[in-house]
Amino acid sequence: MEYKDYYATLGIDRGATADDIKKAYRKMVRKYHPDVSKHEHADAKTKDINEAYAVLGDAGKRAAYDALGRGHHAGEQFQPPPDWSEHFDVGGAGADDFFADLFARAGRARHGRGFQMRGDDLHATITIDLVDAYLGATRTVTLRVPRSEGAGRATMQDRTLSVNIPRGVTPGQQLRLAGQGHAGHGGAGPGDLYLEIGFVPDPRYRIEGAQVYENVPVTPWEAALGAAVAVPTPAGTVEVTIPAGSQSGRKLRLKGKGIPAAAPGDLYLILDVVLPPANSDKARAVYQAMARDLAFNPRAV
Amino acid sequence: MVTNQIAIGVLIDEVTLDVDELARACRVEPDWVVRHVQAGVLGEQAAPRFRSSDLARARRLLELERHFDADEELAALVIDLADEVRRLRARLRALGLKDA
Repeated sequence: MEYKDYYATLGIDRGATADDIKKAYRKMVRKYHPDVSKHEHADAKTKDINEAYAVLGDAGKRAAYDALGRGHHAGEQFQPPPDWSEHFDVGGAGADDFFADLFARAGRARHGRGFQMRGDDLHATITIDLVDAYLGATRTVTLRVPRSEGAGRATMQDRTLSVNIPRGVTPGQQLRLAGQGHAGHGGAGPGDLYLEIGFVPDPRYRIEGAQVYENVPVTPWEAALGAAVAVPTPAGTVEVTIPAGSQSGRKLRLKGKGIPAAAPGDLYLILDVVLPPANSDKARAVYQAMARDLAFNPRAV
Repeated sequence: MVTNQIAIGVLIDEVTLDVDELARACRVEPDWVVRHVQAGVLGEQAAPRFRSSDLARARRLLELERHFDADEELAALVIDLADEVRRLRARLRALGLKDA
């Protein structure tokens, strides 16, 4: 396993007080929070910061981490001393990280016989395409989980799981997979896995719950005169009637063509009138004829 | 070794979570859930059953309270503001405006 320098992650020295650690953590979270940060790797950085604080912010875990000794460098290959875990009771591993790995290795045998506890629930996210929500899909997630190797030893391993994504899921919904969480102790059952559904950003669509908004480019004559056009949508290609006299921004509602959730959403087509380029004599002549014949001034009050 | 199996899940919203299930998913005591429902910052007081959005909200409340010693009202305010920022950013993107 690779050594991780949590003090360096939080930008503090090993003598920092609990208060210093908390302050440094808060400062870093504010700097790299994905909702406010313009930093390129804000998500990864936030994960590192949280992992470091989960250990250094807890007096017991910090003592155990400090006991690993100095002189290790981040990224170097590393084995904890054999008796290292016996001096610390830190309540087991809390996160899928280097530290959890250490405690997974330390094993759970010292809880003794008769100790029974259901495994913790596990949380992860899964990202799908909008079309998956219309049709349903099977997607793969990879989880890092402790795996017992017998004799109270365990290592962190990747577990790949194929997950059925039901038709009709909306952003932020949680899928509960019974028994796919952390293993239980002393014969008790495993926890559950909660998967939060996220959508791959797609510039064509905006999703709000089960409602879907799609921009549809149209020509000036389709907008002005009305037309029947074929529009590719996540629900398949749909024949749509553009009403005469439409302008950019006009919304056409296709009832029930949003995400097919328990209460199906609607699909809103937002018209976007696109002008043909005046890049030929013929095109310029048409624009000039319009200018001459229509006497149209959009700025007239 | 990698195990590969197809797992079928239950969509939270088609079923809802009770106080104990939500507490277990957040690794807190049920009291924590009850206290936050009573304070009006989580779920609905009339019917303490929880949806997907409540689970995500509970986990964010917990993180803010633990790491920033935030009071539950303040944590709720931060989350509401962050949600509003996300919603507005999504609208900006939809309008073709750069997320500045």
